[in-house]
Amino acid sequence: MVENSLLPGRAIYDFVLLLSSQFGFILYLVWAFIPESWLNSLGLTYWPQKHWTVALPLHLLITIVIGYVLLFRINMMSTPSLNSICTITDNYAKNQQPKKYQEVAIPALRVISTSEVNQMLFLAAKDLYTKN
Amino acid sequence: MEDERSFSDICGGRLALQRRYYSPSCREFCLSCPRLSLRSLTAVTCTVWLAAYGLFTLCENSMILSAAIFITLLGLLGYLHFVKIDQETLLIIDSLGIQMTSSYASGKESTTFIEMDKVKDIVINEAIYMQKVIYYLCILLKDPVEPHGISQVVPIFQSAKPRLDCLIEVYRSCQEILAHQKATSTSP
Repeated sequence: MVENSLLPGRAIYDFVLLLSSQFGFILYLVWAFIPESWLNSLGLTYWPQKHWTVALPLHLLITIVIGYVLLFRINMMSTPSLNSICTITDNYAKNQQPKKYQEVAIPALRVISTSEVNQMLFLAAKDLYTKN
Repeated sequence: MEDERSFSDICGGRLALQRRYYSPSCREFCLSCPRLSLRSLTAVTCTVWLAAYGLFTLCENSMILSAAIFITLLGLLGYLHFVKIDQETLLIIDSLGIQMTSSYASGKESTTFIEMDKVKDIVINEAIYMQKVIYYLCILLKDPVEPHGISQVVPIFQSAKPRLDCLIEVYRSCQEILAHQKATSTSP
């Protein structure tokens, strides 16, 4: 609320957008419903074919539906496969600098290798995972 | 020494794990998947033939029916020979290597052998598979250029896909052998 009153420019943009969108909608309805003969008698002769009044919204709807399917498929294709090395390590983990261990402070954050994590989880703690 | 236990895979189906301890340095794990069920076979055959009959009533061409029969037969044979894996076996021999065997429903067997020099470690890794996050066992291979690097990841039990409890059993047995192998290889 405070930002809107500080920027009068934004209110003007909003009003222009409202007027132009309403004008565009009324123009679309005129183009779709009023017969060619009446528009020609008024002198407005250069319109696109009326076929496009139905085709354009339909194209837009189909694009949105295909967009859902395409997004899902792109996500699945960019997931690394089970035999890719990205699931184990990456460039950051390979190049990380070893940090000195200090007695009192919390140990620094670093990437622990999969082998160590496995040994800690599955070899050391014997009853942690046997319930399921 | 041999024992058999039953586990479940990530979809809930039954799996049977057979463990054979031939010696302290040689072990074999055999995972058996459930066989092709009659129910799914009849369901697929009925849908294909009903669809073909529907096309036949539209087109009045009897070639469609014979084509549907051929497609069903060839599809079943191809599925049994190339897709349906009945059993997966993992054989670890200390100081020699690791062998993975997949036997298909038609009797075909495909084998992969990895030398022990190339094996860095066997770990349980988590990854995203389709819409799930699954645990799977994989062999990490050493990088010849870099001593602590990993060159390749080889997943095992890919078509059986057991759950974590089964993987932990296999992991512990494999780690015993690998620890034994590392101890004997580092001592001169």
